[in-house]
Amino acid sequence: MTGIGPLEPGEGTWAREPAEARPAPRPWRRRTLLIPATACAVLAAGAALWITRPRPAPPPELPFPAQTVTVTFLVGRSTAPHRLAFDVRLAVEPGPPLTVTRVSQPYAGMSAESEPRAPFRTAAGSSRVITVTMRVTECGRVPKNAALPFLEVTLRNARAIQTQSFILGPRYTRYLSRALGEACGESTPSSPKHPRRLNS
Amino acid sequence: MRQRSLIAITAALSAGALTLTACGSRDSGDNGSDAKGGTTVTIGIDAPLTGDLSALGLGIKNSVDLAVKNANKKEYVKGVTFKVEAKDDQGQPSSGQQNSTAFVTDKSVLGVVGPLNSSVAESMQKVLDDAKLAQVSPANTGPGLTQGPDWQKKKVRQYKSYFRTATTDAIQGPYAAEYVFNKAKKKKVFVIDDKKTYGAGLAATFTDAFKKLGGKVVGTEHINPDTKDFSAVATKVKNSGADVVYYGGEYPQAGPLTKQIKAAGAKVPLVGGDGIKDDTFFKLGGPAATGDYATSVGAPVETLPSAKQFVADYKAAGYKEAYAAYGGYSYDSAWSIIEAIKKVVDDNDGKVPSDARAKVTAALQNVSFDGVTGKVSFDEYGDATNKQLTVYSVKDGAWKAVESGTYNGS
Amino acid sequence: MNELPQQLVNGLLLGSMYGLVAIGYTMVYGIVQLINFAHGEIFMTGAFGALTVYVYILPDGTSMWIALPLMLVGAIVVAVTVAVGAERFAYRPLRSAPRLAPLITAIGLSLALQQAVWAWYPEAKSARTFPSIPGGPFEIGNVTIQTGDVFLVAAAPLSMAVLAYFVMRTRTGRGMQATAQDPDTAKLMGVNTDRIIVIAFALGAAFAAVGSVAYGFKYGQIDFRMGFILGLKAFTAAVLGGIGNIYGAMLGGLVLGVAEALSTAYIADIPGMDKFGSQSWADVWAFVLLILVLLLRPQGLLGERVADRA
Repeated sequence: MTGIGPLEPGEGTWAREPAEARPAPRPWRRRTLLIPATACAVLAAGAALWITRPRPAPPPELPFPAQTVTVTFLVGRSTAPHRLAFDVRLAVEPGPPLTVTRVSQPYAGMSAESEPRAPFRTAAGSSRVITVTMRVTECGRVPKNAALPFLEVTLRNARAIQTQSFILGPRYTRYLSRALGEACGESTPSSPKHPRRLNS
Repeated sequence: MRQRSLIAITAALSAGALTLTACGSRDSGDNGSDAKGGTTVTIGIDAPLTGDLSALGLGIKNSVDLAVKNANKKEYVKGVTFKVEAKDDQGQPSSGQQNSTAFVTDKSVLGVVGPLNSSVAESMQKVLDDAKLAQVSPANTGPGLTQGPDWQKKKVRQYKSYFRTATTDAIQGPYAAEYVFNKAKKKKVFVIDDKKTYGAGLAATFTDAFKKLGGKVVGTEHINPDTKDFSAVATKVKNSGADVVYYGGEYPQAGPLTKQIKAAGAKVPLVGGDGIKDDTFFKLGGPAATGDYATSVGAPVETLPSAKQFVADYKAAGYKEAYAAYGGYSYDSAWSIIEAIKKVVDDNDGKVPSDARAKVTAALQNVSFDGVTGKVSFDEYGDATNKQLTVYSVKDGAWKAVESGTYNGS
Repeated sequence: MNELPQQLVNGLLLGSMYGLVAIGYTMVYGIVQLINFAHGEIFMTGAFGALTVYVYILPDGTSMWIALPLMLVGAIVVAVTVAVGAERFAYRPLRSAPRLAPLITAIGLSLALQQAVWAWYPEAKSARTFPSIPGGPFEIGNVTIQTGDVFLVAAAPLSMAVLAYFVMRTRTGRGMQATAQDPDTAKLMGVNTDRIIVIAFALGAAFAAVGSVAYGFKYGQIDFRMGFILGLKAFTAAVLGGIGNIYGAMLGGLVLGVAEALSTAYIADIPGMDKFGSQSWADVWAFVLLILVLLLRPQGLLGERVADRA
């Protein structure tokens, strides 16, 4: 024995009877198998069709609001004692419409509001100029020298509400520290212990 | 005779040891694809694939591999099959430089993604730039790499071939300072760094911004990243009366550091940058890490649909390691190179031109596409134009996004 | 100044770990005049031995009271096996070779052990978490001692006492002393020097293993490179205390640890020195101290001036 085995089955080398020699399965048995198998196939196909049926609203995933907005610092408008105002451009990418629900800023000693007053809606794919007015309530606590000041805008679209910090870059940084200096009267610093509230 | 055999044994042992060391730097890149004919273009990866920082490095490698696989599957660039070649820099500038030289020599390499560490980038930039070989880092945050050492006063582009998709520390440090001062309401900080390019740079931009806001720095300390014993530093932190600790460095030290600071009795949060934003941080720090903060580049993955796709693809590809902090940026870095190559090949009638490297570098300057992390394009210094940052906090054994910011320098 | 007691404790804890490892350097040097640079890696394999026992052998949730002794046994078994194996197969064949040959072998062995753990121990390519001892820290006055350090606090003096008893009181210990003084004469007197040398390696490894378990509890993580820096520091401690003297090793470790802690804490307060006071400079100050000590006492703090045996 070389381990290769007979190349051709010779007389008496069959390991067992060839398939033809076996009695054919009786037809009824084949049918009993066939019926449930077909039923299963039909069910599976149905299920597959049902699962993959064209559904009316597999809603395209809406982007989060902060991902569709660009806020750019434009220009300072006016400075008055304890008050300053500047323009920013709010550009919204095409997509779902967006509502600005709040404009604020994070620093102690001042507050911010916007014109148009929040909440306001901005159509998608458009841009608009917003005037932000900041009131200084306490000159001793304003960031006259902040490195990267930012504006906080709360945005809402069909997807989510997000408060995003918009860091407006070096131009805004320079503007803010100069404007805050003017608004607080750099030469006559007000005492932080007696904050004067000004309602202009 | 005996003498000689002893020397032979010694030599053999040393040689064996050296060979084993070399294992650490062998190429462990598995190729992104089976070649389908046409030209094969290699995208090199340089990242720490072993050692302390390997969690981040392997995430970079896998993400680039995923980008390449996707490009090949879609036949994104006709007639070009991409493959990846990953090299391990172990976080060492010297290894990074060797790897760069190897990439330059391999003519099929048309772009390199990496490295992780800013210090490694410094050693790679010139080598790659001399060969006009494009490099896109997903993770370097040192501002000097693009804007020159004097970036605070005068910005000068350093290397025409260097780009990055990550946001710089010039923004990350101050952003963290704003958060700590205004939102977390912490006014007394103890600043610690590891003296490396990344850590010291980040700590410096943070400190500067924190002081400008009116915060007080009650102590500074530089740790030695080789040791694990920070007990003396922790005691100093406790006695300084700081209400927050800022750490410029990476998670292998930050984890034990936060643990030892809290153990010393200073129950104050530790804040760090993207270098500590890895799950390993709170694995090493244990319960002490709960409530610690990290700023990281990019918007939280769950708020970006493109990122969700990436996460799903990454999972489906079955990588063993997590994509970690820079996964999305690595994918985008690789994809920006692929976009640039596509432009160059399309302009050249579907063939890779002979001076492909220079052309790819030039094309990279103008790429713009919607990537995993948002819009990807580069400014005049090679920095990403899309600059988003997120503050994360450790809660219930995971990083949870606290708030996000968008930088717009124009 | 209320920081001082805590910083002293920090330094003493760090120092007793240096000391435990330094004993291995000093014993081996005392007997065979070999600086066993692979000792730091023997320390490292001990820590992995303890981790293996905890993670792969003991069932989950084993109480620390049961686990700790077993981990200690695991650490000692692994470290001693590695050390004795190193002695038998790497150093003994070189015993009559020039001194440089075993030294280089030691460096090669150190690299080989590091890379072997890196390559073959599961998930050892980055740091692995070590189990921790449950319970809160202990406060004594205004000094805090961490739970993880309690083991070190108990183990270091105990090991030292055991070692002193062994060297001073037992037959083998006296044989060691004899071999250290003069190996040839000791041999003539019937001391089995080969056996003594093996015991020196094994003992050093056992103490390093105790230190490695303490390291794991203290820092909560171990990695394949943990032995390198610690080994260097321990070697420094051994030299500082007077290499060859086992009490010197412990004292040197303590002095070194305290010096590191205090320089981190106070150098910056000296006017004009604020740049040199941070932790990253602590090593520099530790070595400045070493140089000063060696200038004044070349034999180290507790070393005896002996003529160099060629």
